[in-house]
Amino acid sequence: MKALMSRLGGHLHEVVLAALVLLALIVLSRQSANFLTIDNLLNQGRLIAEIGLVALAMTFVIITGGIDLSVGSILGLVAVLLGAFWQNLELPLPLAIVLAMIVGTLAGAINGLIITRFKVPPLIATLATLALYRGLAEGISQARSVRGFPDWFYVLGQGDLFGVPVQLWVLLLIVLLTAAVLSLTTWGRATYAMGANETGARFSGLAVDRGKLAIYAFSGFCASLAAVIFVSRVSTTRSDMGSGIELDAITAVVLGGTSIFGGRGTIIGTALGLALMQSLKSGLSLGGVKGDGTIVAIGVVLILTVLIGSIFRRDGHG
Amino acid sequence: MLFRSALVAALAACLTSAPAFSASLWTGGDNQPTNPLACDNTPMQPVAKPYDGKLPTNPPDRKGKTLKVVDVPKLVGIAYFAATAKGIAEGAKDIGNMNSKTDGPAKANIDDQISLIDNYITSGVDGIYFAANDTVAIAPVLKKALSKGIIVVGYDANSTPDARTWFVNMAEWNGVAKTLVDQMVAQVGESGGVALVTSTFTTPGQGRWIAEMGAYAAKCHPKLKYLETVEAQEDNILSFNQANTLINKYGPELKGIFGMTSVATPAAAEAVTQAKQCGKIAVVGLATPNPMKPYVASGCVKSVVLWNPVNLGYAAAYVMRSVADGTLKPGDKSVKAGKLGELKVINGSEILLGSPTIFTKDNIKDFDF
Repeated sequence: MKALMSRLGGHLHEVVLAALVLLALIVLSRQSANFLTIDNLLNQGRLIAEIGLVALAMTFVIITGGIDLSVGSILGLVAVLLGAFWQNLELPLPLAIVLAMIVGTLAGAINGLIITRFKVPPLIATLATLALYRGLAEGISQARSVRGFPDWFYVLGQGDLFGVPVQLWVLLLIVLLTAAVLSLTTWGRATYAMGANETGARFSGLAVDRGKLAIYAFSGFCASLAAVIFVSRVSTTRSDMGSGIELDAITAVVLGGTSIFGGRGTIIGTALGLALMQSLKSGLSLGGVKGDGTIVAIGVVLILTVLIGSIFRRDGHG
Repeated sequence: MLFRSALVAALAACLTSAPAFSASLWTGGDNQPTNPLACDNTPMQPVAKPYDGKLPTNPPDRKGKTLKVVDVPKLVGIAYFAATAKGIAEGAKDIGNMNSKTDGPAKANIDDQISLIDNYITSGVDGIYFAANDTVAIAPVLKKALSKGIIVVGYDANSTPDARTWFVNMAEWNGVAKTLVDQMVAQVGESGGVALVTSTFTTPGQGRWIAEMGAYAAKCHPKLKYLETVEAQEDNILSFNQANTLINKYGPELKGIFGMTSVATPAAAEAVTQAKQCGKIAVVGLATPNPMKPYVASGCVKSVVLWNPVNLGYAAAYVMRSVADGTLKPGDKSVKAGKLGELKVINGSEILLGSPTIFTKDNIKDFDF
């Protein structure tokens, strides 16, 4: 019984959040007839895909007790490199995409190296690489945008597959993959252990450093994937792409109940957090609320959700 | 190790290949061909060009019906776009059968602007006005609007022509460029060192002007010494800091600063004032008159260049109505714009507001925006 209670207690935040999402959908659909339509929901999926990808990897990072502020800059760097490899080095586009994504993943791994090898706190390490990677992006791009990609490339960001935006399939795939890894594998359990009690995890013989390195590299990979989708969606590269995306992603993760101190969090929570955030953005906008009002609403909901979450947790654990 | 050296090699390759870009003369200019005006005031003969905009697909009959339209500027919360929004609202009022509102991102950010426009397409509007943060990035979402029968009218910052119906051009690029450079040379002399504070290197309007300014300076003032262009994102504090950095970096070599945005120009004037360099460093730029009044009054700034942004919004409203009523069609030579009279069609699918205005100590108090 006690075990059941604690299991339910562990998922209470997700239950509350799901109820909130449902409530938001109902309330917002009354504000505008155009909100709760298949067309709009799919379209919102297209707009959230990049933030979603970054947020999924961010969930792992935050569960280990870390943070990755450099994801937006990695996104910008990969976008610029993709264009530079293709146009300046005249590589075939598929090769340019793969190479740029390898660099993005390495950029994530470098974050991991700085954090594990030199024991720099993640906040400071990724704050530094946030500036470093954005600077590289601006330097390499020389303020030139690369445009005029072949038509097949736009399928990723602007096309549909079975009536659903292509990037939504990609997002779905990564959601399933990350959810499975986090909840079903030893890697997932190791991730929680690192965040809950790092010293304990080390003494239990877990390869903490290697685990963290892999997680930050994965964060770089997801930001790279988001970059390719973003470039395809807007059909141009810009060195300022993805600036501020780290804050949206962290908002979704924290909204989803992941503890900023590590050790707790789920992929389903992050997915619900993303859904709530985007429903508010779209629903309020369709209901006639202007952009500034929407940001205020998201801030208020974030505070409320965190408060509700902490109240329930205190009750749940006496 | 192999990966790391591959990374280094790749980065090095990118950096060294960078100069291969077909760069404009001044940093921050776009890659488009330039067309500098004559050094004296000989007007240029306009070149006839066929309509190259795009009409909405299967629009409903909107003739004489009330239109629901939305204006999505680059960003909200700055004087310039408050003025264009005011003009759009005034135009809608003079026209009568038009409901318009303005909603834009809080920062000049391509993604926020695209999402906003996308939501308004879903909400079902008759028309969208836009001022683009990026010429190409905004095109897919505007094309989507056109495909849903929505009339798309740009102002201030253009998209690619095939993504909108018309663009209201505030003043011709080469005309603004000539005015700015001539004003600067009049203050700093033929061989002064000049630097620019712009929004970002990929912002459409600024990119066009800088390219034209570089070309015009090379043609008519070849000794003018170009130092550097810095980005400040139409952010007040960043613009001030960037101007300050220029002053400290170049010292007496810096004779003049061009403010390329309505945010950068007053910020540069403030930086020059605080550094006690008034009279030693000239500030010439694009700005709305109100924020510039103190600097013009103190004599720190001699001239401010701009068109009337209220009229720009006003003209956009009339263009929108005329397209809906079928009175402005591809191939037309002009359009009636209420109190502004007849406006000329140029460059295929652009409507020209007029020539830039120069605000000085003598006339700046007559303008309130």
